[in-house]
Amino acid sequence: MDWITTAVNGALLGGLYGLFGLGLALVFGVMRVVNLAHGEFIVLGAYLGVFLVAAMPQVPPWLMIVPVALAGYAIGWGLQAGVVNHAVRTRDPLTPLMLTFGLSVVLRNGMVQLFGADSRAIDGGALTSTGFDLLGMRIGVYPLLVLLLAAALFAGLQWLLRRSEFGRVVRATADAPEVARLMGVAPERVFNRVMGLALAFAMLAGFLLAQRTLFTPFSGVERMLVAFEVVIIGGLGSFWGALAGGVVLGMAQLLGQKFDSNAGPLYAHLVFVATLMFLPKGLAGERR
Amino acid sequence: MPPLLELDAVDVFHGDLQAVFGVSLRVEAGQALALIGANGAGKTTLLRAIAGLTPARRGTLRFDGYPLAGLRAERIAALGVAMVPEGRLLFPSLSVEENLQMGQLTRRAGAWTLARVYELFPVLREMRQRPATRLSGGQQQMVAIGRALMCNPRLLLCDELSLGLAPLVVEEIYKAFARIRAEGLAIVLVEQDVARACAVSDTMLCLLKGRVTLAGPSHHVPRERIAAAYFGE
Amino acid sequence: MRVPLAGAVSAAIVVAAAAIAPRFVEAGALRLAAEILLAIGMAQMWNLLAGYTGLLSLGHQLFVGVGAYTLYEATQRLQIAPHWALPLAGLAGAAAAALLAPALFRLREAYFSIGLWVFAEIGYLVVSKTTALGSTAGRPLDLSNLPDVEAFQAISFWVACTIGLGALVGVHALMRSRLGLALLTVRDNELAASSIGVDVWWVRFPAFVVSGFGCALAGAAYFMGAMFVAPDSAFDVNWVVMMMFATLIGGIGTLEGPVIGVLVWFALRELLTTVVGLQGGWYLIGMGGVAMTLSLFAPRGLWGLARQHWNWRGWPMQRSSLRRFTKP
Repeated sequence: MDWITTAVNGALLGGLYGLFGLGLALVFGVMRVVNLAHGEFIVLGAYLGVFLVAAMPQVPPWLMIVPVALAGYAIGWGLQAGVVNHAVRTRDPLTPLMLTFGLSVVLRNGMVQLFGADSRAIDGGALTSTGFDLLGMRIGVYPLLVLLLAAALFAGLQWLLRRSEFGRVVRATADAPEVARLMGVAPERVFNRVMGLALAFAMLAGFLLAQRTLFTPFSGVERMLVAFEVVIIGGLGSFWGALAGGVVLGMAQLLGQKFDSNAGPLYAHLVFVATLMFLPKGLAGERR
Repeated sequence: MPPLLELDAVDVFHGDLQAVFGVSLRVEAGQALALIGANGAGKTTLLRAIAGLTPARRGTLRFDGYPLAGLRAERIAALGVAMVPEGRLLFPSLSVEENLQMGQLTRRAGAWTLARVYELFPVLREMRQRPATRLSGGQQQMVAIGRALMCNPRLLLCDELSLGLAPLVVEEIYKAFARIRAEGLAIVLVEQDVARACAVSDTMLCLLKGRVTLAGPSHHVPRERIAAAYFGE
Repeated sequence: MRVPLAGAVSAAIVVAAAAIAPRFVEAGALRLAAEILLAIGMAQMWNLLAGYTGLLSLGHQLFVGVGAYTLYEATQRLQIAPHWALPLAGLAGAAAAALLAPALFRLREAYFSIGLWVFAEIGYLVVSKTTALGSTAGRPLDLSNLPDVEAFQAISFWVACTIGLGALVGVHALMRSRLGLALLTVRDNELAASSIGVDVWWVRFPAFVVSGFGCALAGAAYFMGAMFVAPDSAFDVNWVVMMMFATLIGGIGTLEGPVIGVLVWFALRELLTTVVGLQGGWYLIGMGGVAMTLSLFAPRGLWGLARQHWNWRGWPMQRSSLRRFTKP
C-alpha cells in the first residue's frame, strides 16, 4: 500500500515535471532552439518567488504565481528580442546552443554571487503541508493542485495553439517562417512571444517547485535535464506526451528514492535511458 | 499616374552569385505581366526581390511610387503585394481553412473573403478541415492562390502556377485565374508554358541568364522572336 | 609522415625544456603548467568530437570522472604506482564511450548533447552513493606503492606534457588520415557523405571512442596530480564548460583553436582571481559572457578571426582518399 501511495504521489509530481518540459518543448517546436539555460530560469523563478513572499508576507504565497509568471514572460520576450533572435538568424544550429549554454553559465554563477549558495525554499503555508486520505493512501493537497494546474495549463496551451489566431500564426511560423513573412507575419515577433510564454511556464514551475523542495543556484542543471527527459520520453512534438512523460519520471523518481534513499534523481535518469533504448520515439511516437 | 510596380536597373544576388542583371520593368494597375525564360533565368529571384524575401543589391523598386528598398517582406505584404510561391509552400501544420485564414493577417480591407475564395474554388470548401498538404497538387495550388487572395493585394505575384500539374488541372487553375484578372488585380506571372503566359497577360518580359532579352506586349509577337529571346541566339 | 627540419628542432627543444623543468620551476607553477597542458589535451578531445565530427558534447565530464575514479580504484586494488594505472583509466573512458554510442547516436544535435550530459549525471550519482568508491566525501590517492614520492611531482608534470602534446600530435595525425577526411565529410553533410558510401556510424564511433579515451586519460592525470578526488569535482559540469568555451574562443574545428583558447582561458582566470582579486565564480561569469558574445559575433573564434583578417595559416593538413571507410 505504501508503494502505491508513493506511486500516486510520483504521478502527482509528474505534473510539475511536465511543466518543466513544456517550456522547453514549446521553444524547440517553434524555433528549433534548445534553451540550455531553461533550468536556470526555473531556479530564477524560485528565487523571485522567495523574495516576493518575503517582501509581502501578508499576501498568500500561491498568489505570487501571477507576478512570477508575468516576470517570466517579460524576461523571455526580452531575451528573445535582444539576443536569441540574432542567434536564430545565423541558421547555424550550433549558435543558439553556444549562446544559451553561455547564458546558463552566467546565470548559474551569477545567482551564486548574488544570492549565495545555500539552500532555500518557500514556505507555502498550510497549503503545502496538508494532506487527505483517499482509499487508504495519504495524498498531499499541494501536489494534487499542482497536477491540476499543470493539466489546466497544458489544456490552455493546446487551446491557444489549436483554436486561436495567435496559435495559427505560431504553427505557421514554426512550419515556414519565410512564407509566413509573405502573409505579413514578422517571425521575430512571434518568437518573442513564444519565448515569453516558455519562460513564463519555466519560472512559474520553479516557483511551484520551491514550495516543495529546497533549491540552490545549482539546481538548474537537474531541472533542465528533467525537462529534456520529459520531452523525449513523451515524444518530440507531443505536449500531452510531455505531461505523460512527467508522470513516468515522477513515479520513477519517488519509487526509486523509496527503494534507495540516497539515489537522488538516478532512477528517473535510468528510466530515461531505458526509454531511449527501447522506445526511441517516446510514448506518443514522433509527430511530423 | 505612376505605374503600380516599377523596377529600374535591378541587380539581385542569390548568396554570392548574381542572378539578375539590371532588369527594368513596369506594371500598370490592373495589368498582367508575364515573366518567361528558361530554368535558372532569374525569374523566381526577381519575384522574391519584389516580395522582399531577397533584397535587391542595386537599382530601385517602387510600388505605387513607394520605394521598396530595405523593406522587410512582411511590410511589403502589408502594402498590398501578395505572392503565390513556387511549389505552393503551404503550412503543413495548418488545415486548408487555416492556411486561407493566414491571409487575413495583413488586415487589408477588400473584396476577398473566405466565402468568396470558396466560391472561386468550391472543392476547397469540402476539404476545409483537412491538413493542407494532404490534398492533390491542383487543390494545393488553389489553396496557395486563395491564401494570397485573402491578403486582398493590389499586386499578385504568381510563380509557376502550372508546375507539376496535369493539363486538365492547369485548365481549371487558369479559368480561376481569368476570374481573378477580371477583378482588376495587377499580376506578375512566371510561367513555363510560354503560349499560355502570353495568352493570359497584357505585357511580357523574357529573361535569359538574368538579363532582359525581350520586352513588350504579349500578343502578336512572332514565335521566332520569342524563341530567340528565350534560348539566346 | 615527413617532418620538416624546423619542426624537428622545435620539437627537440620542447622535449628538452619539459625534461628539465621540474628541477628549476617551483611546485605551484609546475602544477599550473600541468593543468594547462591537460586542459589542452581535453579541449583537443572535445574539439575532435565537436569541431571535426560535428557532435557537440555537454557531458565530457563523464570521461573525466570515469578516468579519475578508474585510476584511483586501480591504484588501490592492483597496488601499483598511480602512473601505471593511467592506461587503464584511458581504456575505461574508451569503454564508456563504446558502451554509450548505440544509445546516444540515435539522438540528433542538441539531443545528443544533453543525452551525454544525462549519462554524466548518472555517473555522478552512482559514484556519490557508492561508499566503496568514497561516496560524496571523496577519497585520497593511494600512494603506498610509489617508489619515490619526490619524483612523483616530476612524473605528474611529464605525464601532463605527454598527454597535452600527444593529443595535439594525435589529432593532427588523425585528421590527416582517411578517417579524418571521412569525419569531415560526415560533419559537413551526413546525407551526402552517406550517399557516396561513407559509413557514418563507423566514422563517428572511433572518433567518440578516441575522444573518450583521451579525455579520461587527461582527467585521470589531473586527479593523479591532485592526489584527492570527489564526485563534485570529478563530474563537475565546469569541465565541459572549460573545454567548450576554450575551443570556441580559440576556434572550433581547428588544431590551433583549442590551444589558443585554453591559454586565453587560463590567462583570464589567473588575471581575474590573482591580479584583480575576484572570487572564483566571477571568472566563470566572465567566460559565459565571452562565449555568448563570440557565438553571435565571432563563431569561428580568435583563430578564425586571425585567418580571416590576417591570413594566418597554422599546421597544414593535407589528406588522402576515402576508400577505406566506404561500405562494402
